[in-house]
Amino acid sequence: MTRNFSLARITTTLLISCMCLLTAGYNPLVAQEASSELVIPEDAASISKGEALFKGNCTSCHRVHKKLVGPALANVYERTPSIEWIIGFVKNSQKVIQSGDEYAVNLYAEYNNTQMTAFTGFSDQDIMSILGYIQQETLKGPEVASGGSAENAKEDGGEATGVASGYLTVLMVGLVVVLALILFVLILIITVLKKYLNQRGLDEDDAEVVNATLSLEGIAKSKPFIFMVIFIFSAVAFKTVIAGLYTVGVQEGYQPSQPINFSHKIHAGQYEIDCQYCHTGVRKSKSANIPSANICMNCHSAVKTGSKEIQKIYAAIDYDPATKTYGPNQKPIEWVRIHNLPDLAYFNHSQHVKVGGIECETCHGEIKEMAVVQQYSPLTMGWCIDCHRKTNVNTKGNAYYDNLVEIHDKNSGGEPMKVEDIGGLECSKCHY
Amino acid sequence: MILNKYTAIYIVLIGAFVTGCAAGEDDTGLEYAPNMYHSVPYEPLSQIRDKRAGAWVNSTSKSGKGEYHNSNPYNPHGMTMRVPPANTVRRKQALPYHLPKDSLAYAAKVVMNPFPAEGPEAEAMLKDGKELYGRFCEHCHGTKAKGDGTLAQSGEDDIPVFAGIANLTSDNLKNISEGHIFHVITMGKGLMGSHASQISAEDRWKIIRYVKKLQK
Repeated sequence: MTRNFSLARITTTLLISCMCLLTAGYNPLVAQEASSELVIPEDAASISKGEALFKGNCTSCHRVHKKLVGPALANVYERTPSIEWIIGFVKNSQKVIQSGDEYAVNLYAEYNNTQMTAFTGFSDQDIMSILGYIQQETLKGPEVASGGSAENAKEDGGEATGVASGYLTVLMVGLVVVLALILFVLILIITVLKKYLNQRGLDEDDAEVVNATLSLEGIAKSKPFIFMVIFIFSAVAFKTVIAGLYTVGVQEGYQPSQPINFSHKIHAGQYEIDCQYCHTGVRKSKSANIPSANICMNCHSAVKTGSKEIQKIYAAIDYDPATKTYGPNQKPIEWVRIHNLPDLAYFNHSQHVKVGGIECETCHGEIKEMAVVQQYSPLTMGWCIDCHRKTNVNTKGNAYYDNLVEIHDKNSGGEPMKVEDIGGLECSKCHY
Repeated sequence: MILNKYTAIYIVLIGAFVTGCAAGEDDTGLEYAPNMYHSVPYEPLSQIRDKRAGAWVNSTSKSGKGEYHNSNPYNPHGMTMRVPPANTVRRKQALPYHLPKDSLAYAAKVVMNPFPAEGPEAEAMLKDGKELYGRFCEHCHGTKAKGDGTLAQSGEDDIPVFAGIANLTSDNLKNISEGHIFHVITMGKGLMGSHASQISAEDRWKIIRYVKKLQK
């Protein structure tokens, strides 16, 4: 029965749409009717206008078939008290709630007292055309969801690399099998040839060549071979020892597991959140700061609240997602420190980032690609000095340097001013 | 043959030695002069609560605490950093904002931007505001404040990562006062949390200048 009804509706809509298209997309009769009696418009012009308004103003909180911040709007014109009620609520929901309207009060409570923005700029006509769009979408029914939800798909980031390395293993095994087959075929050919030659009857010299066996012992005991082996081994050993000694005290590549699996790849890479949104101290102080949990909660009071990792934040700050309140048993999240300069060296983030204008990635590497952060730079003195020798001082728009740049340019013969020219190699700049 | 045997042992020993030095996943690697890496004073962003950590370095010490131990016993959770004492204000900082979260309508009328609206200072503010907007607002509210930042865009199943982000240029928000925006950034509104800990009051006013420009 309902199916027939919706079919009839769709046919009518289509018919009217066709008519509208024929009459240059606008039907004054239908529009007239809607404004006077508050009938949901069904003509294509109103619906497309409603669609534009819906997508421009409503989609941040509403979908037709899904509950987001606000309720799903399918059927809203049938389940609410009246069309007039909808118009009043959209224009100023607080007024309707404060008037004591039962439906509005219940709705407000159901959605945790989240205020809907007052859309005072909408005319009745605008709201009716939005309802026209909603009605059309309601009749279409929800689209069939494709595959798993976003929640599940994003949980495991390591999947892709796992698949790639698995593929590589298969490839390697395949290659080894092919090589073994080639070897087998070659041995077969040799035996067959040997048999054939021996059958033909050879003179002594030729027979010696054909039947010669490869003596492994002879090769291993030959002087050039022993020399080569010793030489290669000592060279490799020498190189590894020297390289190994250089890694003493250098923590490049240190990638500890953290108490919460926070991924910079998702936050800074995929969603392009600026580093300094969370690491707020970087332009103001010596250290860039480990963000406090309240910064996490700017989003995660609403985003991915069911995730296991997010629950760890809630546990640390004693937050109850159901009541949205914080308890007294708060404790710090003990992140593991990665970058650690020895006590004898002074380093200041704000000096480099704010004054020097250096990008975070210059020293910290492709943080946007790191699911687990690792130390990218060696943080050795040689590394500091190297950069101070190569980098030009960022003097643009900084009046402090004007005089200095002028004097430098007079004496340098066109060489740009490097950090080393302003004392970047002085011992006491960093060691005091 | 004897030589080959020796080289094999040689290689194994060197391999073990070298892999023991370099830093790896959960291992900081071998430290040269560890006393220099581990601070004696309390460090703001380090904390090692294990009392015996690094005891081998100063095994003769009578305190019984290891060289690496770095945790302030007088602070809560042994932390080094503390929350500033209640009812104190940092020098040269704006006085704390006392209006409660739910008095948005009142704040919108009363709170005024203390900085000049015209002149070179205002222009500099606008320039800073643009940069700050990019840092603190853009990923949600979008480059043009249309509520279409990277977090607002629909991911899978047509659901945005963060639903409910306001389009600041929409008709009903276009004409909000500077005080309204200040109150919302400071206290949060709806799903948006308070950004007071991240953005200083002065920076908030700079951002507001830029938002008002985008809304025009």
